[in-house]
Amino acid sequence: MNKEIEKYLVIICRLILGGVFIYASLDKIANPAEFAKAVGNYHVLPFGMENLVALILPWVELIVGVCIIAGILVDGSSILIIIMNVIFIFAISQALARGISIECGCFSTSSDSGSAIGINTIIRDIGYLIMGFIVLKRKSKWMEFFPKSI
Amino acid sequence: MQYLDKPFNQVVFFVVISIFLSFSSNLVRKDSIPLLAKKLEITEDIDLDSDESTLTAISLDKAKEFFENGVLFIDARDEVYYNEGHIRNAMKNVFLMELIFNIEDKQTKEDPIVVYCGDPGCGDSEDLAYDLQNEGFKKLFVFKGGWLEWSAANYPADRSNE
Repeated sequence: MNKEIEKYLVIICRLILGGVFIYASLDKIANPAEFAKAVGNYHVLPFGMENLVALILPWVELIVGVCIIAGILVDGSSILIIIMNVIFIFAISQALARGISIECGCFSTSSDSGSAIGINTIIRDIGYLIMGFIVLKRKSKWMEFFPKSI
Repeated sequence: MQYLDKPFNQVVFFVVISIFLSFSSNLVRKDSIPLLAKKLEITEDIDLDSDESTLTAISLDKAKEFFENGVLFIDARDEVYYNEGHIRNAMKNVFLMELIFNIEDKQTKEDPIVVYCGDPGCGDSEDLAYDLQNEGFKKLFVFKGGWLEWSAANYPADRSNE
């Protein structure tokens, strides 16, 4: 791929991923109890663990979102974004396979947010996953500040 | 700071910082939550005529009382186990949407339902109870002792060899 195009593609992916993950984290950080219920509804965690995940995950999303936009620790940020999206895709897929109709809990913790999980949710997360790989496999480290670009 | 040059170390750094921030913010906020969710507690004082939504665990005695009062029981275990033996007239667990149709054929979402699985350690009954709660069912009771306690007590059951 043309170096110039790749440079801008990576920046666009960083901005989209950062924006999405920061936005996704805010309501969850504000309402941990509601988010814990949303996590519990997926039934993928041993009973009791949903609270821990509901507390820690939104902060990971927020910090990773800020850092990937700011050009700080971009490798680590993109790896975590990839890992999180793989987990999200797995959790949503197994819920769909079991016929559970639940709210996504992706961007809003409200039970009537109208964001029920579906194939579109999985496709969206696959899109974020691809963007994560584009950032991770980048050759150009343009607009990155720490660790310093070589 | 060279430590943070490696991607793996960056991931560890992010996780550690997130754990620190999440725990400290949870400590200072008014609506903090326990680090581990509490398990369903067994409740003895239950008013079936109340309009309030309920999701609670019940004991063997309470389950027997509900059984005698004609409350619907749902077996949350796999079909193989259900076919080997189940609480008399208990409904079989199938694909969730089909199960809901089956329940609504018999009663409304406001009527009580007892859900059970194999033994006190299994989680299928709780999982199913939460699924049904999400679907709008109001009075859900998890019989934690499950098939193990019921069959040991020789209470009414349908068995494959009967």
